[in-house]
Amino acid sequence: MAKIDLSNISHTYNPNVENPTYALNPFSMTWKNGDRYAILGPSGCGKTTMLNIVSGLVRPSGGKILFDDKDVTDLITESRNIAQVFQFPVIYNTMTVYDNLAFPLKCRDFSKKKIEERVQSVSETLNLSSFLNMPARKLTADQKQLISLGRGLVREDVAAVLMDEPLTVIDPDLKFRLRRSLKEINEQYKTTLVYVTHDQNEAMTFADNIIVMDQGEIVQVGLPKDLFEKPKTTFVGYFIGSPAMNLFSSEVSSNNSIKFNNLEINTRTDLSKIKNKKVKLGIRSEFIKIANEQKDNVVNVKVIRVEDFGNFKLITGKIGDFEIKSKVEREIPISSDNLKLYLPADKCCIYSEDKLIQ
Amino acid sequence: MFVVAPFLWALSTSFKDFQSVNSKVTYIPWVDYEPSLEGWKVLIKSPAKGGVDIVEPYFNSIFVTCTASVISIVLGTLAAYALSRFTFKAGFVRNNDITFFFISQRIMPPIVLSIPFFIFLSTIGLLDSLIGLVVVYIVLLMPIAVWIMVDFFNRVPKELDETALIDGCNPYQAFYKVVLPNSIPGLIVAGMFCIIFGWIDFFFAFILTFTEVQLLPVKVVALNSSVTPWWSLSASALVSVAPLIIVAFIVERYLSKGNLSGALK
Repeated sequence: MAKIDLSNISHTYNPNVENPTYALNPFSMTWKNGDRYAILGPSGCGKTTMLNIVSGLVRPSGGKILFDDKDVTDLITESRNIAQVFQFPVIYNTMTVYDNLAFPLKCRDFSKKKIEERVQSVSETLNLSSFLNMPARKLTADQKQLISLGRGLVREDVAAVLMDEPLTVIDPDLKFRLRRSLKEINEQYKTTLVYVTHDQNEAMTFADNIIVMDQGEIVQVGLPKDLFEKPKTTFVGYFIGSPAMNLFSSEVSSNNSIKFNNLEINTRTDLSKIKNKKVKLGIRSEFIKIANEQKDNVVNVKVIRVEDFGNFKLITGKIGDFEIKSKVEREIPISSDNLKLYLPADKCCIYSEDKLIQ
Repeated sequence: MFVVAPFLWALSTSFKDFQSVNSKVTYIPWVDYEPSLEGWKVLIKSPAKGGVDIVEPYFNSIFVTCTASVISIVLGTLAAYALSRFTFKAGFVRNNDITFFFISQRIMPPIVLSIPFFIFLSTIGLLDSLIGLVVVYIVLLMPIAVWIMVDFFNRVPKELDETALIDGCNPYQAFYKVVLPNSIPGLIVAGMFCIIFGWIDFFFAFILTFTEVQLLPVKVVALNSSVTPWWSLSASALVSVAPLIIVAFIVERYLSKGNLSGALK
């Protein structure tokens, strides 16, 4: 277990060309000892590269990695004492399940007694106890992934356990249970867990801190609540939440109001220092309510469709050329084609050049 | 039919004598002809007693083929692993070019190499010796091993090596503790091809040996004289292919598993 500092880390896979494309743009970050982190972003945004840099499989083009303030940038993988679980199960085919789980401990010369104890403990957590003597290759894909996960968790002294979308091949029921187990392991052993995913629900339910990435850049780091309520960029607003955040191209009309489609919307954001008057208004569909009377921040919407998702209704409407989505309680009857929707000023986020104005 | 018939023909001929082969068409032993062990006896009789004695060439062939195959597999596997996992650059030369260089040794007609090999072995004093043949056969067999194993290692996910490194192995341990045991089917296929190509080679065995050392293919051909002894030729053909058939039966199940069959994922 260790505090991990990523100091000005950057990486390109083609360092010798004149203007290299960066898989990871320079960034700095600290992963605190014993915390749970989720790295969230679309495919190809640099999540796996970041993990591989921490585990030592990839040497960063720039910057330093520090484990407990010790520079490990040039340290080879096996000397870093990191555990990593890949997206697809990687097992040692020629070994039994027991030997697979024991392998990381054997490589590090743990005593037989300790190996036995740790393998039993991890196999119980992962429901693998009855398979211990079976050849690993005979197990199903999700059981094989449990072995991969088990090899990551079998060492108690690892600096961090890095997981690269490890539950992709596991069925939803077991996935839910495993996420709970991982949380319990983290709470029990204070192991730093870093979990890469492109599934926001997985990230939100698993991690204390979420790192959102896009095109090799870290766009926001924060608690699930912050990411949801105050996305720092339009990308985060779009990427987090289902449906994505409503975004409307607007113009600043006063120090705390904007105009879109000739509608004046008040906000709590100070817009007095804005130079570029073209902004975007962002608001979550969860915060938009049905209004009964015309007042400030109420807009008239032409309803296009209403979808019943069981626990809520999703209204999709039009305001001029703009499309707006609102999540409402399913008990509320939607009778008219025209609806008044209220956009609370304190929930309106204003973005200038796709960045949140604080 | 096509596989078994020639063997049956050879087997039946090996038990015939001069009369049964040359006088008329004969098929069924004890009915059409009287079986004789003469064809088989000739193979183990010494030349002084009118035999050809293929026992020594037989063991020579086993020694040369096995030694050259094992060394080729060891060196070829290491080379193939490096070519599969690391990127080499030397001018315009890349990994694929190096792999092609290996296999291009087999594309060349053997006659092209015969004079250089002859001069090389005579210079280092290994002409007409088992060791000299082993050296030459390694050159012939290693490209096969490299070619098969590069393809095999390319199909082994590199995450397997990476996992081993993360679990605490150094790169060498990752290779021999994890990657190599997972590559046994590939090693067997490569070994099989090396043994086949080593065992059946006649050309270099003929060019590079004279009196001290003889390999089985040369000895079998030497059986043919002014009168073709079909009975002993058939017997020697059968004992020549016997080791290959035995090896093929043992490793048959691995041949069908030439790849990992998705076992890693």
